[in-house]
Amino acid sequence: MIIANLAFYLFASVTVAAAVMVICARNPVHSVLFLVLAFFNSAGLFVLMGAEFLAMILIVVYVGAVAVLFLFVVMMLDINFVALREGFLQYLPTGGLIGLILLAELVLVIGGWSIEAEIAVPASAPIPAPAELSNTEALGGVLYTRYAYLFQAAGVILLIAMVGSIVLTHRVRPGVRKQRISRQISRTREEAVELKKVSPGEGA
Amino acid sequence: MAAVPALMPVLAEMLLAVAGMALLLFGVFRGDRATRLIAWLTVAVFGAAFLAVVGPASAPGAALEGLFVVDRFAVFMKTLVLIGAALTLIMSLGYIRRENMERFEFPVLMLFATLGMLMMISANDLIALYMGLELQSLALYVVAAFRRDSLRSTEAGLKYFVLGALASGMLLYGCSLVYGFTGTTRFEVLADLFGPGGAGVSTGVVVGMVFIAAGLAFKVSAVPFHMWTPDVYEGAPTPVAAFFSVAPKIAAVALLLRVMAQPFGDLVAQWQQIVVFISIASMLLGSFAALAQTNIKRLMAYSSIGHIGFALLGLAAGTTEGVRGVILYMAIYLAMNVGCWGCILAMRRQERMVEGIDDLAGLARTNPLMALAMGIFMFSMAGIPPLAGFFAKLYVFLAVIEAGMYTLAVIGVLSSVVAAVYYLRIVKIMYFDEEGDPFDSPVGGELTFIMAGSGLFVLLFFVYPTPLVRGAQAAAAALFP
Amino acid sequence: MLTLYVASVFGPLVGSVIAGFFGRALGDRATGVIACMMLGVAMVAGWYVFYEVAFLGRSREAVELFTWIDSGAFEASWALRFDVLAAVMVFVVTTASFLIHVYSIGYMAHDPGVPRFFAYLSLFTFMMLMLVTADNFVQMYFGWEGVGLCSYLLIGFWYKRPSANAAAIKAFIVNRVGDFGFALGIFGVFLVFNAVAFDTVFAAAPDYAGASIEFLGFRIDTLTLICLLLFMGAMGKSAQFILHTWLPDAMEGPTPVSALIHAATMVTAGVFMVVRLSPLFEYAPVALAVVAVIGATTAFFAATVALCQTDIKRVIAYSTCSQLGYMFFAAGVSAYSVAIFHLMTHAFFKALLFLAAGSVIHAMSDEQDMRKMGGLWKRIPLTYGVMWVGSLALAGVPFFSGYFSKDLILESAFAADSAVGDYAFWLGIAAAVMTAFYSGRLLFMTFHGASRASDEVMARVHESPKVMTIPLVLLAVGAIFSGVFGVSIGMVDADGAFWNGSILVLSGHDALAKAHEVPGWVKLLPVVMAGVGITVALVMYIVLPSLPALVAARLRPVYLFLLNKWYFDELYDAVFVRPAHYIGRGFWKAGDGALIDGVGPDGVAAAALGIARRASRLQTGYLYHYAFAMLIGVAALVTWYLLAGGA
Repeated sequence: MIIANLAFYLFASVTVAAAVMVICARNPVHSVLFLVLAFFNSAGLFVLMGAEFLAMILIVVYVGAVAVLFLFVVMMLDINFVALREGFLQYLPTGGLIGLILLAELVLVIGGWSIEAEIAVPASAPIPAPAELSNTEALGGVLYTRYAYLFQAAGVILLIAMVGSIVLTHRVRPGVRKQRISRQISRTREEAVELKKVSPGEGA
Repeated sequence: MAAVPALMPVLAEMLLAVAGMALLLFGVFRGDRATRLIAWLTVAVFGAAFLAVVGPASAPGAALEGLFVVDRFAVFMKTLVLIGAALTLIMSLGYIRRENMERFEFPVLMLFATLGMLMMISANDLIALYMGLELQSLALYVVAAFRRDSLRSTEAGLKYFVLGALASGMLLYGCSLVYGFTGTTRFEVLADLFGPGGAGVSTGVVVGMVFIAAGLAFKVSAVPFHMWTPDVYEGAPTPVAAFFSVAPKIAAVALLLRVMAQPFGDLVAQWQQIVVFISIASMLLGSFAALAQTNIKRLMAYSSIGHIGFALLGLAAGTTEGVRGVILYMAIYLAMNVGCWGCILAMRRQERMVEGIDDLAGLARTNPLMALAMGIFMFSMAGIPPLAGFFAKLYVFLAVIEAGMYTLAVIGVLSSVVAAVYYLRIVKIMYFDEEGDPFDSPVGGELTFIMAGSGLFVLLFFVYPTPLVRGAQAAAAALFP
Repeated sequence: MLTLYVASVFGPLVGSVIAGFFGRALGDRATGVIACMMLGVAMVAGWYVFYEVAFLGRSREAVELFTWIDSGAFEASWALRFDVLAAVMVFVVTTASFLIHVYSIGYMAHDPGVPRFFAYLSLFTFMMLMLVTADNFVQMYFGWEGVGLCSYLLIGFWYKRPSANAAAIKAFIVNRVGDFGFALGIFGVFLVFNAVAFDTVFAAAPDYAGASIEFLGFRIDTLTLICLLLFMGAMGKSAQFILHTWLPDAMEGPTPVSALIHAATMVTAGVFMVVRLSPLFEYAPVALAVVAVIGATTAFFAATVALCQTDIKRVIAYSTCSQLGYMFFAAGVSAYSVAIFHLMTHAFFKALLFLAAGSVIHAMSDEQDMRKMGGLWKRIPLTYGVMWVGSLALAGVPFFSGYFSKDLILESAFAADSAVGDYAFWLGIAAAVMTAFYSGRLLFMTFHGASRASDEVMARVHESPKVMTIPLVLLAVGAIFSGVFGVSIGMVDADGAFWNGSILVLSGHDALAKAHEVPGWVKLLPVVMAGVGITVALVMYIVLPSLPALVAARLRPVYLFLLNKWYFDELYDAVFVRPAHYIGRGFWKAGDGALIDGVGPDGVAAAALGIARRASRLQTGYLYHYAFAMLIGVAALVTWYLLAGGA
């Protein structure tokens, strides 16, 4: 039990520290790497809670795909983050104050945690013991039955995301040269080469 | 073999989803030449969905494991959303052709946004709510930035996206707080918990509710979550701004009403304060900030902020009459706004859109009919009897007064006086200022039809308001028994 | 046959809309013809309705169109009430209005605003029909105000003439005074009965007989108060004594308008309203007495004024005023059916007189002063003939329509056998002499004797076109036979069976029943008086043409008093108009200009603009500002809850 507790505190503190570093790091590449670290530790927290499926998904999807994509974007786009941060200090006092207030309030709220027995889990289906049903099975059992609607809705959302990104990026820009192989190879000599007579001393 | 679930209540949504995908495929194969056809097909799909909503899918009840609910309220609001979406899509046809925006994804995205709105209206669960909201928002982010070659449009889309993501974050945070403190996301279970005999309310739930309210307030562009509105309206292509100001607003108001009235129905005392605050702030800011505008689209943005403030007054009253007032307000708002944006879309000079309020100068002499229509809308928005806008305000104020919230009513009336100034200023500019060059004419059949239709509705509403009032009454009763 | 019922009311509206919106495209002639056709449809439908309701006894209490306002206890519907009373009114209004429409085609032929004219004229008719078929007070008020509005538009039809504008405004304002009372009356009805539908109110009325109400610190009989307030509206609309001043000026409008106002629409509204509300008035004897006294006074007063007027239309206008007085005192002695009977006969002969006068004016190149006429009878024989018919009917010469109705009114007043009745009777007799006299005077001055017009005018005197004369002839037929017709269908029978319950007369109020049994001299007196009046006119204007000037000189103060219409206009000018101007000017300069504008609008406006600028400066355009604002908003709300202990 102690080991589990220790592990929890380790993962938790690293997660928080990494999250802080995501917004504090000067180098954006470092930020993304800290994000990856935060994801890993969150996955660890999931494992501790017995949610191994979510932990794996987090690593596969977020670390494996999303964060790497971020990394590519950050490295390919040469954005001057330092310039963006200008004026950050100017807002720090107010921003910090607001943040602190919110934090304090949330602590207050969580501190006053008051889930009484009668409130606890009134709606959710009884959770079977992990031994009877694995995480993946349990998710699969409800995902396509009880929550089929939400699953489909999520599918439509992803479709829109795809359509949207295509619409916004795939467009015909005038004045951009592209290679069209079919045109290249179907060109005849007459089209490609023009002969000009040049008189001496006049230039083309 | 498992029983086929009862899908009739979801008919309209399924129709939209399937048709959307079919049209998408069709568009991919036919290319952008088919945009006009796809747009009209989309309108037809809206029409079919409308029929489904009022017909086979109108029986009250829940579906899809209780995640989706249909009641009189949902039916009423869905019809409004579909009408608004169809009209704004029709209005945009001329624009997208002229402004080189003719891409088949445009109507399809509008269709999916509308699907999201219908899902929002029928949501009976916090997750379903979020799904609908995101579907709608995502499609809207894209259409806001639809003119990629225009810097302003791109900026508008980006701003909307970032702030929308922030608002979604708040909403989700609120949802998770509520879930954390109650263990459920289902509306009716939440209502039971907070109702008499339930477990009562903890601070965590209230804070969660505040976050949810904030997230929704962003969608209806209520102060202080309104900041995106003027920039996005100004930057986005005009028909998109028209669309923004109508259908999503109605859907978001519907959602706000449902969330406040159903799961949190017994927490009136708690949320009333938020709504009162938001409503007052929106009315005041909408009225005052609009005074100094010179761009008509920005002005409409502030005007819509103000209108939302007025509509929320009804919710602030926290009674059935109040909710009826809100519903009625949104219906009338739909007509006024569609007509008004129709006029704005007709503001073209030498093949280019103009957006300055000064460009309207002397319209009464160069295009008297359009000036008349615009004048009617302005008077109606200002709430001058006997136009429809007056009744919209009247029902809301009546509810507020019946609830005994006199201060609120007084503030509302005062800010409507201030708001009247800028509406009437437009009338003055149109009728009394030196005329400039005339606008291009003809303005196009669709725009004329919409201006005339909504103008007549606004003008003649008072003759026979009963069906709409009855409908709103029934809808409000379904929500707020 | 519900369609016909609806058509009889809405036909004119359709005509009005067509004339108003498409008139310019259709052209003047076509507009006129279409407006007439729509009215013709309404008229035929109106006849059918009259036939079905009055003769087949199928009254339709409410043809409900749809609910209009439904707010708490306050419910008002658009509904048409077709009982016998309404059917009679629809019959009269559509018939007279149709003939006037036809006449207008000819009369207005050279006017530049024909479509506008027909749009207003038809709308006017529609509003009157709306009023008479109203099923509740609110709808009646709608028609009431609509009639007022249309009268304003039509009296000021020639809006380029300052006098027409002034007359229109005067009509509107004087009517407003009355309407104010009417509106208060309706409020009172709703306050007391908690309903505005006629059926409900009438059914509840007996329970409130004798009840009293606190009003301005006095205890007043409830129904009396309500009825007096309502009657105030009737006084305004029907131009009764004190509120009569607008009617004579109203002839500034085109002559068909005068005819319409005086005959079919507008002024009869007040009489109709009192009759319609007989179930209320019957329980308010004091109010009835007031109605009778005001009516009798008006009858007398207007007749005296008409004696000396020289403008041909003005004479007829005052005669309307006087005849309305008759109707009111008939209603005041509970002889409602006689009032409506007189309303009907009057509609025919008054429309006839006005249109014939219009024909005269038309012939005389727009001359209205009788002193510049004379000797016209040979030139325009048809007009002359119908004018005689109209005048004889007006004077109450036997067997013309006016004879039946007016005599019966006087007999009822006598039979009422009360102080009020006697007052009304004797003033009515006096008015009858004068009516005969001024009718004769009008005829003799206009058509007989030597011509006093200039030669060139006389040279152009001509009979009007057919489209104008045919309505005249038809109206003349009505003026002759409507009396016999009314009596023969039993309109004024003592038992009131004809009305089929649409008029309530309490059993004690049996003036009408007793009117048929008055002594012979009472029956004979009005006829004799009519003869006397016409004879005197004959003597003064034909036999001894120098006599009138002599009389005028002898009785100069009386003459001036009458010529100046009892100095009412001057009195009102001094008492109301000028002080109002002074007060208004004072408020405007000192109150509005200096005080309110200085502090209020200008100051507030400046402040508002300041706020506006600051508010729009909040909108920096920076994304993080916006995000920040949202966060602050959420934080503030959460803090508010935690501090206020919202949970």
